[in-house]
Amino acid sequence: MPLQLAKFLKKMTVDVVVGRSSFQAEAADRGKFSEDFIEKSAVVYMKEDFAKINGFKEGDIVKLTRKGKSINLRVAIADFAPNEGIFIPNSIYASYLSDFDSFKRFKASLEPADGDVTKPEEIIQKMLK
Amino acid sequence: MFTCPGCSCLCDDIVVGTENGKISIKNACRRGAGIFLNYNTSRTKPKVNGKETDFDKALEKAQELIQESKNLAIYGLDTITLEAQKIAIKLAEKKEAFIDDNSSFCLGDFVEMILRGELPTATFDDVRDYAYVIVYWGVDPYHSLSRHLSRFSYYPRGKKRQRGYEEDRFLVVIDVRKTHTAMLCKKNAKFFEVQDDIELINAFNQVLDGKVPSIFTRDIPRVIKEMEKSDFNVIFGGLGLKYGLKGNYDLFKEFMRKFNTKTNVYFIPAGCHPNMRGFNELMFEKTGNVNKYSFRDGKSSEDFAFYNLLKNDSIDTALIIGTDPLNSLPFEYAKKLAKINTIVVDPRMSFTSKIASVVLPSAISGVEAGGTMVRSDGVKVELKPVFEREINDEFILKRLLEVV
Repeated sequence: MPLQLAKFLKKMTVDVVVGRSSFQAEAADRGKFSEDFIEKSAVVYMKEDFAKINGFKEGDIVKLTRKGKSINLRVAIADFAPNEGIFIPNSIYASYLSDFDSFKRFKASLEPADGDVTKPEEIIQKMLK
Repeated sequence: MFTCPGCSCLCDDIVVGTENGKISIKNACRRGAGIFLNYNTSRTKPKVNGKETDFDKALEKAQELIQESKNLAIYGLDTITLEAQKIAIKLAEKKEAFIDDNSSFCLGDFVEMILRGELPTATFDDVRDYAYVIVYWGVDPYHSLSRHLSRFSYYPRGKKRQRGYEEDRFLVVIDVRKTHTAMLCKKNAKFFEVQDDIELINAFNQVLDGKVPSIFTRDIPRVIKEMEKSDFNVIFGGLGLKYGLKGNYDLFKEFMRKFNTKTNVYFIPAGCHPNMRGFNELMFEKTGNVNKYSFRDGKSSEDFAFYNLLKNDSIDTALIIGTDPLNSLPFEYAKKLAKINTIVVDPRMSFTSKIASVVLPSAISGVEAGGTMVRSDGVKVELKPVFEREINDEFILKRLLEVV
């Protein structure tokens, strides 16, 4: 019964692929601090089957963590996501987690989270520390 | 007709209407239309240390920082015109500064190989007229170069390709996931879902050597057979290919050389920035290198890539034009910008402008300023402004150059 068991998974390691989204690029022209841009950037796309097996559904908030840095993103179901992993658009969110050793593809841990998505201002504040 | 500055396709068939104060757009893609329709939103204001001021005071402060800088880096430049890029290069030369653009972590290596004649290349117009097998490798043009397939490659009918994509083109998409572009692979097409690009190149090489490939045993021979039907095939390589190669460019060049002993296969970089190739070509003409250059040392080096200058604390001031490193550079590098003097020249509010010492608002190239850009295939394209704005990148850079 993998479906039920998966719901008890608290933290999992996933393959993260980073790429462009024209919807997000369009939103950037409406403002990188706009709700529209955040909605289209602070997002993890995953396939329906992957979400089901791992106990996630559209709209869930998840925490993505890599090398001690975490961000909260919203789950969206999409057929263009990788089979075994997630897709996130190029943005301050992806850049916060990536490095040049694994710029467009890296492993990160994914777990359910409460609250809302991380705001760009919160990441900028971390830079100023 | 206007030229869209949204990506390196530089589509020059955009119809812009400006009746009754309302803008209307024809022919542009989602991204391109957004640039014109939202040209007046999210505009930045002149600022010094986070506080709004008038433009002249912000410019004066920027001049002062540049004058006082002992180690200046000029960075970005891929969204501005050739005319403005030339002034930026002149400024870097006079100040003995570092200069770099996004191509140092994007597709600059491929552009340099092309300019050095190490990879056979072609223009989009040639592709439209003659290409049979069209390979998109590590790039999703559906999102990053939205009209690439409809204007230049897969869909249009060309001189020798009169029967359209249904019969006269063969599409190949290579990616780690089934992108929107890969979803187009139905009839006369093949999608390779790969985990390791080097393994795929080795498998292609095995078939070219007359052996059975280790992976995709049916599909690789099929693609090569299709390529051999034509004397014109093309590979569009994106960031997925660059990072998939892990620096093994010799392997890729050898693969291209071997391919070209069987049939003609050309390579065109498929990067997104509208005038990245323009900057690379100007730099190559002047210095023999395309990016990450130090005018003090008179050479290009990995150490002079903007991200390494930040990482190694090699600069005291950064002049950032038309790019947003807080959005695009990994955090460990970008965060260093908050510790040095950062001057941002940008039409819109960017994340980097939030931490900048000085912000200078400029015009949007192609919407409010005219000039020339270079498409990713190396063809120059003219841009004319829909609205004219006096303070543009050229104006600002000329004023900054005055104090050097």
